[in-house]
Amino acid sequence: MGFGQFLSAPETKLRIVTYRDVFQDSAKVASIFGEDYEKLSAVIKLDPQDISKLSIKEGDTLILKNSFGKVIVKALNSGYDHSHTGTAYMVNSPWSNALVPEDSGGTGVPDFKDFEVLASSAKGGKVTGIKEII
Amino acid sequence: MENDYYVCTGCALLCDDIGVELEGGKLNKVHTACRKGFAFMKGCTNPMECAVNGERTDIDSAIKEAASILRNAERPLIFGHANSSSGAQKKAIDIARKTNGFIDDTSSFCQGPMVEAIMEGKLKTCTLDDVRHKADVIIYWGADPANSHPRHMSRYSYFPRGKERQRGWEEDRTAITIDVRKSDTAEICGQNGFYQIPVKGDAEFMDAMVSALSGKIPKTSYDLDKKKLLELASILKKAKFGVIFAGLGMVYALDDREPLYKLMDKLNSVSNFHLIPMAGHYNMRGFNENLFEETGYINRVKFSGEEVLHGPEYSVVEALRQKAVDAALVIGADPLSSLPRSVVRYLEEIPLIVIDPCHTLTSVKANVTIPCGLVGVETGGSAVRMDGIEIEVKQIVDTDRLSDEEIMTRISEAL
Repeated sequence: MGFGQFLSAPETKLRIVTYRDVFQDSAKVASIFGEDYEKLSAVIKLDPQDISKLSIKEGDTLILKNSFGKVIVKALNSGYDHSHTGTAYMVNSPWSNALVPEDSGGTGVPDFKDFEVLASSAKGGKVTGIKEII
Repeated sequence: MENDYYVCTGCALLCDDIGVELEGGKLNKVHTACRKGFAFMKGCTNPMECAVNGERTDIDSAIKEAASILRNAERPLIFGHANSSSGAQKKAIDIARKTNGFIDDTSSFCQGPMVEAIMEGKLKTCTLDDVRHKADVIIYWGADPANSHPRHMSRYSYFPRGKERQRGWEEDRTAITIDVRKSDTAEICGQNGFYQIPVKGDAEFMDAMVSALSGKIPKTSYDLDKKKLLELASILKKAKFGVIFAGLGMVYALDDREPLYKLMDKLNSVSNFHLIPMAGHYNMRGFNENLFEETGYINRVKFSGEEVLHGPEYSVVEALRQKAVDAALVIGADPLSSLPRSVVRYLEEIPLIVIDPCHTLTSVKANVTIPCGLVGVETGGSAVRMDGIEIEVKQIVDTDRLSDEEIMTRISEAL
């Protein structure tokens, strides 16, 4: 355990937008409990500036939390050519759904594609497993 | 290879040109299907067992227990249906009626508003075959078919050489993506065909398009390349057969459908535009049509004697949030995977029945699990494509599992 374990990790507020991915979706069809599905689902795609702000490297794990849930996922560089600081992308999955606000304002449609989380380094913590989510 | 073509039930495109090879009565090879369809047809690696309270049992005992749960419930929820055959959906409606239950499907938090508007005649629509043969301007709005419906662009919307579009995508078709990020579909449309908007900026963009189509300077509260938008308006005005594929990005961004209605009205006053909702699961549209035929509503229904109640309070999300139901039967869906965890937690507090070919996150929490044959591979039936066209689905291989329709029929009879 390094000295860094005792320092508080910087926290950043992120707006999450979800999307679909055919590779992740196919892995789900094969087995929602499989390693491939977890590997392709438990990720967040960030702007490089947000990666710096969080004092992490690409591939490190991040804690994402809000008042509805908390998950640990792997941080990736989005690779988009436009800047999207403060907005991050997650593939639609039980990991993103663990953080989606339950209040639908009476409409019956939660904000699956637009919600906020607080992100901080998981300091090497393991990605949340599917069975921990349910 | 079998001298026959089959239907892929991997998504609501219901591609009907699938070739297969069998070996020892099992599906050995699947030709033509996309990555997702191939995975779907090959079947999952974790088939569901017939069980009651975690103990394996026979199908008769499981059906008896399921019927008992529903009979003893005062307000059961019958939910799912998007990955069920139309026959099973009709039986589900019977069960909901018999038990004074809530009935809802995934369209309730997905494409419901678009399908509803089409079925009420408020949005002009067309078929995917019309798109293949006639469409010259195609807009993917908040939709990314390259990932959600991998054969959409190649089979119907962009790349085919249709009867009136023999020069194909190179000369005869213009594809446009309107989205909050540069999706894989946007990459295909190219820089000139991609319009990036902010999250929830759709309604303003629609208003701006109406202005541009009316020859006015478009205005939005966010930065917008006005020249590019005026160029878009010019492309849309010249369209002979235009189509908007409405994805969840658009559906979730609109607080109401008025901006879309205004845009469609304007487009149809200057050219010829249609809208098709990008339904995901293979028979979501089928459920909407079946329930509409029975009740006049496409989803979010509660039966109460002879009365049919309808509204957001009868949606699966609100029913679970408000703890308004006291048992649940889930078929052809996995709410623990697709809904917010905080909403579905209540399913663990009530008796739960799951009918599916595979283990799901929801089946892990179920009191009764009943495996059914995989529609399109192990059993046949019918389904409704995303554009409203009914498709017959054939069985490919034999199975000792009952079809989803047979299971629902037997539960209904046992009530």
